[in-house]
Amino acid sequence: MAKYVVKRIAYMLVVLVILSVIMFMIYSLVPSNRAYTDASNEIKSLKNVLPKDKIDEKFDELYLMYQRRYGTDTDSKIIRYLRWVGVYPLYDGSYNGLLQGNFGYSYEYQKPVLEVIKNPMINTIKLNIWATILGLGITIPLGIVCAVKRGGKLDQTMSIVTILGYSLPTFVISILFIWIFCSKLNIFPPSGMKTPGSNYTGFRQFLDEMYYMALPLLVMTFSSLGGMTRYVRASMTDALSMDCIRTARAKGLREKTVIYSHAFRNALIPIVSLVVGWFLGIFGGSLVVESMFAWNGMGRLMITSLRTADYEVVLLMQMFYVAMSLVGNLVIDIVYGIVDPRVRVDN
Amino acid sequence: MAKKNQSSSGLAGTLKRWFLRFWKGGANALADEMEASKDDMSVEDIVSPMQQVVRNFLDRKLAVGALIVLIAMFLTMFIGPMFMPKYYDAYTEVTQKSIAPTMSMMKVPKELAKDVKMIDGYGSFSVGLSNAGKVYVWGSTQIGTTGVDVGDIPEDVQNANIVMVAAGIDHIIAIDDKGIVHAWGNNRLGQYTTLAEVEAKGEDINPNIAYMPEELVTTGIDVNNIKKLTCGYQCTAILMNDGTFYLWGNKLAYANIDLFLNAGTMYDLDFTLNYIVGINGKRNSIYTGSRGLYDVVRTEVGGSTYKIKDYLDDRKIESITAANNSMCLLLDDGSVCFAGDYAGNLTPAPVLSADEDFVQIVAGSYHYSGLTNKGNIYSWGSNTLNQTEVPKKYDGATKLYNGAFQTYAVNEEDDVVAKWGLKGYLFGTDTAGADIFQRIINGGKMTMTIGAVAVIISSVIGIIIGCISGYFGGKVDILLMRIAEIFNAIPFIPFAMILSAIMGRMTLSEDMRIFIIMCILGVLTWPGLARLVRGQVLVARESEYVTAAKALGVKEYTIAFKHILPNVMSVILVNLVLNFGTCMLTESSLSYLGFGVTYPRPTWGNMLNGANNATIINAYWWQWVFTAAFLAITCICINIVGDNLRDAMDPKANSSR
Repeated sequence: MAKYVVKRIAYMLVVLVILSVIMFMIYSLVPSNRAYTDASNEIKSLKNVLPKDKIDEKFDELYLMYQRRYGTDTDSKIIRYLRWVGVYPLYDGSYNGLLQGNFGYSYEYQKPVLEVIKNPMINTIKLNIWATILGLGITIPLGIVCAVKRGGKLDQTMSIVTILGYSLPTFVISILFIWIFCSKLNIFPPSGMKTPGSNYTGFRQFLDEMYYMALPLLVMTFSSLGGMTRYVRASMTDALSMDCIRTARAKGLREKTVIYSHAFRNALIPIVSLVVGWFLGIFGGSLVVESMFAWNGMGRLMITSLRTADYEVVLLMQMFYVAMSLVGNLVIDIVYGIVDPRVRVDN
Repeated sequence: MAKKNQSSSGLAGTLKRWFLRFWKGGANALADEMEASKDDMSVEDIVSPMQQVVRNFLDRKLAVGALIVLIAMFLTMFIGPMFMPKYYDAYTEVTQKSIAPTMSMMKVPKELAKDVKMIDGYGSFSVGLSNAGKVYVWGSTQIGTTGVDVGDIPEDVQNANIVMVAAGIDHIIAIDDKGIVHAWGNNRLGQYTTLAEVEAKGEDINPNIAYMPEELVTTGIDVNNIKKLTCGYQCTAILMNDGTFYLWGNKLAYANIDLFLNAGTMYDLDFTLNYIVGINGKRNSIYTGSRGLYDVVRTEVGGSTYKIKDYLDDRKIESITAANNSMCLLLDDGSVCFAGDYAGNLTPAPVLSADEDFVQIVAGSYHYSGLTNKGNIYSWGSNTLNQTEVPKKYDGATKLYNGAFQTYAVNEEDDVVAKWGLKGYLFGTDTAGADIFQRIINGGKMTMTIGAVAVIISSVIGIIIGCISGYFGGKVDILLMRIAEIFNAIPFIPFAMILSAIMGRMTLSEDMRIFIIMCILGVLTWPGLARLVRGQVLVARESEYVTAAKALGVKEYTIAFKHILPNVMSVILVNLVLNFGTCMLTESSLSYLGFGVTYPRPTWGNMLNGANNATIINAYWWQWVFTAAFLAITCICINIVGDNLRDAMDPKANSSR
């Protein structure tokens, strides 16, 4: 097992490096020149101080300085990449890359990227924890009931609802829910994160936050309802048709014991892997829901950064997403091995 | 079979059999009967697996229904645009923004249709006046999000005996027999505010508003002396017979209001979309207040230009009729000429014979209609909304009236004998004023094309890689599956967004961009299918028919693609259908966020772009309901068809039935 995990982690790192090269190369396609912008900004402030004939000279000097500072004083993209990672020295011989903890600098916010990402990340996690609790809390029981009473009224209704859930794109569900709950019923606020101008503390603050969170949560739950319920239902159906269930029933066990103790445990195996993947999604944030409800999270940051061409933020977020999904795959495989003794991951 | 025997044994059945034998000869029928009796003895037909799948699928009513809807949707989206030759992506129309679904724009109320005194229209609604002095309003009467409904005719107007009406973009002006001017509709930009009202409310005087003269609402004007009442965008003018005129409204819409207010008298005046145009006492030029704006005329809407003074020679201008960007001058010899800007693709103005002269010209927003002394009616100008399609029958028409995109012909007895032009919008219009129905059809074509091409790209890659990987195994398999995993690790929507944002910074044509989006979608979605195919191939590789093929010495590639591939086709087919839905959804999400296909090119995703706040979602419900419904129905149908296809192909499911 340990050997397998080490192997997987090593492999994961290779993939991460390959993807980081791809990402970096894609970003270097963007026509942007930070050194040039900085140098010309600085030269503007010096315009009145310096004599005219010196300005060009000074500009070249500044430009070179900035290029050296940012590590763009070379045309070779490979060297730039290595400098970005932090394994190739800058002009002055120092290293300043990802490995040294330099995650980039946001041009839009004039702050290091890590600081920019911090707040949205907290907001996203806040929203997603609730979404996960709600989602799992509803879909798993629902899936079980549907599987047990297959073909019943609830099952038929749910089969329609689930088709809606995974056929409708999230933004259509959002629009629909805003229309129903904000415009027609006037229950929830259409967007935002807290009552404007309010300074609540303690429990009041929590309630206010939940009030604003309600609609995005509802949308996220509804859109996750489809896929997850079907999944649980399918794996539960499979579990219920197993021989051990027949044996259990033949033994005269109570139906509740059969379902929850015997069938559900077997059904749990595929579900667990999905749940783990879901938990990792907590950090990612939903692009559509967050931008729709003006929820200041990761997804929204991604969109605004793309719109304002703040590419260092986007690049780091992208790397973060990639790392998340790789770690996710690994964790799923390992958890699978732990939950299901029949699966030997090291084979 | 028993049923068939029963029906053939009756008298009718015998007659039918005889009849068929007479025409087709007895041999066929006899053979059929023998076949039928043989069938009775056999247990079950032997059908090929494909037939079985089709049978299973057809047994499912929901799936068949979904398939029919889906096919209908496809046909509509791909054939529909052929019936919309006038449609183009970048179409915008400022006077038709955000109009609710209506088909009543040309529906003259029945009472009015027999008793027309006058009809006028400028924007989305028309106003009519009967000889009895009653005012009627039809068309789309809700004014944007203001909550104003011009269809709510005020009580004092209903009680008064109105003699003249005119409609602006969002207000209506009516004059009663005592000369009092009534107005209703939107009043936020000074459409009918008097200074006294402003003072009474204690508001500040708005320098951008030319206020309505006080005497119009208090003492009234001499009704018999009014030559013309006309409304512009948010502006109104009343021209008297002696050449004096009253003019008020929004100065931001018409910058030359002040110049006109200082200009003294006019022989005639009218509103384009941006300028007030007038004919002064000399009747030999177009007055706008600024020099040289309209000093050339043409004899044909798209023709070459002449200096107005040279062209007129000694003739005088009889009247001026303005459309949105252009105007038509009727001269005293009955000929017409044109000034202003004309777009391309116009219906040309008619060439009249020597003894035929125009007696009346009316103008909509982009079209003109003219009535000649021989009773012929011609329409020319823009035909994008069917404005110039004059019906064949208009017997006895003696007078023309116009809406913004409609023309009404009225006869001697004041009956409406013909009307043509824009009926309305089935699904309303968007914020640019384009017909949502047309955009849905054309956008659907785009959405479906992108989905289909993306699926084809992803399937081709997925199938080839899956087959190779599964069949050859070993190092090739490991390498390919590692590549697939790398692609799988890329978070899909963020990555597509980034690529699309980066493409936006490069100079690419829109078609190229769309093609690249298709490729991105295709290239990022293949790993799933590749894995599936690989798994199936792994199973099939061990089966006996492959061993047999190998023993016969069939080449490896032939085995992989000719023997194994057809057997995993069912899985691929199901995946194709479901992937198509996914790709459509992804494209829609991308376009919705503004990173896919961008305006003006319509797709179902970017058409929903505007619906992103509660006010618009509620007030302009038609701008998202229909598009979302089309998108939802299509995706739901795709998923139902895909799911049922999978079940129909699953042999386990068959046995349980």
